[in-house]
Order: sequence, then C-alpha cells, then structure tokens
Amino acid sequence: MISAIYNFALTTGANRVVRGARIEHVCGDPGLGPEKDYAYGMRIVTTALGAIATPVTRPTLFDPLESTSAQEAVHAS
Amino acid sequence: MSTPLRVVHYVNQFFAGIGGEEHAHVGVSVRDGAVGPGRPLGQAFGDEAQIAATIVCGDNFMSERQDEALAEVGRALDRLHPDVLVAGPAFGSGRYGLACAHVCRIAGQRGIAAVTAMHPENPGATTLRREVVIVPAGETAASMPAALAQVARLAVRLARKETLGPAEIEGYLPQGRRVVHDRGRPGHQRALDMLLAKLHGRPFTTEVPYNAPEQVAPAPPVADLTRATIAMVTTGGLVRKGNPERQSAANASRFHRHSVASLESLAPADWEAFHAGYFNHIVNSNPNYILPLSFLRDLEAKGRIGRVFEWIYALPGVSTPVATSRELGRAIAEDLRNGEVDGAILVAT
Repeated sequence: MISAIYNFALTTGANRVVRGARIEHVCGDPGLGPEKDYAYGMRIVTTALGAIATPVTRPTLFDPLESTSAQEAVHAS
Repeated sequence: MSTPLRVVHYVNQFFAGIGGEEHAHVGVSVRDGAVGPGRPLGQAFGDEAQIAATIVCGDNFMSERQDEALAEVGRALDRLHPDVLVAGPAFGSGRYGLACAHVCRIAGQRGIAAVTAMHPENPGATTLRREVVIVPAGETAASMPAALAQVARLAVRLARKETLGPAEIEGYLPQGRRVVHDRGRPGHQRALDMLLAKLHGRPFTTEVPYNAPEQVAPAPPVADLTRATIAMVTTGGLVRKGNPERQSAANASRFHRHSVASLESLAPADWEAFHAGYFNHIVNSNPNYILPLSFLRDLEAKGRIGRVFEWIYALPGVSTPVATSRELGRAIAEDLRNGEVDGAILVAT
C-alpha cells in the first residue's frame, strides 16, 4: 500500500506500507519538474514492488527516500 | 408463582452425548427435556424457566447441508413454540458456533427470543454478532458455569420481551447499534469524572470504546517479480473523464473496475479523480499519481515484472464505514485471486 499518510496505514494494520509523496500526488511530485517527478514516482513504485517481494511479520514501513533498502529490495528479487 | 417460561435448547452431537467427529454427520432430532449442558442450564434457570425440549444436530450436517438443517430446526421451533431458544454454549468451536448463531437467527425471524454463548472470535460471533444476542464465553468448556449463568439471565429477560440495555452492562457482545438513552448525569460531568479517575489512576469505563483495527496476517512475499502478475487498486476516486459510471465522491458502496489492457499510461484527457476528501486538481493533470500505470508499463517492458493485470480497481476512500470497506476489499481481493494476480499495489490518497 502506497500512502502519504503512512502512519495511518501502519496503525490501522496494513502490513506493507510505502511512504508516498503527498496526499494530492502520492506517486510523484509535479513541483520537481517532469524528469525528477517521474524518477521520484518510479522510486516509489519500485519500492512498492520491493515491499511485496519482502517477507514481513507486522506492519512495516518501506521508505523510498532511504534509497539503499528500496533499491536492494527490488534488485534482490 | 407464575408458570415457568418455556425454553428450547440447541446442542450439537457432542454435547448431546452422541459422539465426537465421527458422529458429526447426524441430522436434526428433537428430545424431550434437557440434555447434557441443558441440565446445569436448567438449574441456572431455577423456577423461572424450564427446558421443554432439546434440538440436536451434528456440526457437519449443519455446516454442509445448512439450508436443509435450518429448515428442519425451524419446523421444530414452530411445533415447540418456546418463549426463548438457547443455543450452545459453543466456546471456541467454529462449526458449532456458526450453527448456534444461525439457529438463533432463524428463531429471531419467527419472533422467538434467542440467545447463545461462544468465544468472541468464534466465526459464529464474528459473522452474526450484529443479528444475534451472544454472551462472550471462553475458548473451552471450562468457562461453562459462568456462560450458563449469564445465558440463563438474559434468556429469561428476552423471553419476557424485556429490552436489553447496553452490551457492556448487560454482558453480551456489542451489536454495533446506537440506542439513545438518558445516562442520568450530563456529559461534561461524566467526562470530568473520567478525567479525574484517569489522572488518579482509578478505573473508569469509556463511553466511546476504541475499536482496535483488525490484524491481518501478512501475505507471503512474491517469489519472483519478473514472472509476477501485478495489479493496481486505488482509493483515490479514479474515474473515466466525466464520471460516466456515476461513482460517488465519498462513502463508497461499490468499487469500479476498468480495463487498462490497451493503455500505456492514464491520460488526463481520459481519466480524472472524483473524490470529496482531497484536492483533485493535481491528479487530474496526471492520473498516474494515484494509479501508477505508466511506471508499471515501463517496468513490464524492461522485464522487471511479469505483466500488468488487465483490470484496475477504483473507489473513493473517504467517509466509508469500516464494515463496508471490509466487504469491498474482500470482493476486490477475490477478483484478484480469480485473475491469478501475484501481487497488488494499492495507492491510498
């Protein structure tokens, strides 16, 4: 689950939560300009794919801004 | 003294003394008077009520041929015309708990008061607690005496057509109903009393209990993304431009499914958001912000994922009761499973 209000998602029991950008633009940020916006959105989406390929035992946050875990999770699959 | 109330008791094959699993297939039968736990139940009633008959049915018969079994129980109830039906207690036993809850339900449909007892997490309680009066019991028959005493108390009151008070006071599982009543003292006094009790470490009972969210066991991870079918779901209120399906902007009662089989990306000319809970304008300029089709198509082309599932799912996730959300989520999940989807990305606004 990708959500900008990720704390809600975690405390209401979603098991794989990815930190989205903003409520009004969850997967990207138009303020960054087209290229960086797309790269940011792609990072969020690949983090989400990494999350569904990662075993979890409880509500867990996957943060696209912490780049290593996100990239590794995707590459590991 | 008045005539004792007339009680009919429902038990499964085990508590009727027929036998365990090997006899769970036995059909519906009716016996005179009390059987098994009906005897201590009768003692708990004292002079106020008497068990006239016991309906017995095997748990497998009831779960596998439910319509037939319940019809037969219904005919027995019509014949026996009790003042109240008592079922169980079923404790932690799932099939028995469901049987007890359904038997109470059909008694209620006939205007017959009914009560049962089981563990709060018994499937009978989780599925029918809104419709049936259920006394919380332990997981095993060790909690029999306490459960029977409470069941007997409520059965007598229900048989006399008395209206039960709030669940936490009367001792049954909350049915999710709000009833207006006078608590005697105004709210600000009750709230300050509670605050003082809390500050002094004294016990108090909230009037607005917190419903802890359901815990869901995490799904196992997708083993190989490069061969996986990935689906997308959004609660961002994604609709086709102009909202031809007439999706509501809040309080969803259904979800909408759209095919993206022939699309590479969601174009703002064709899609937009219709959602009363956030500023939709930015999504309307790029709907992929709430349903990341463009990104997944890229990853699909590069072989990073197997394929994008043909169908996308959308609803406005705002002001929707939890119970409705649960049903919508269940229906979407079932659809994904039928489509052999390996993983899903849900974007929530």
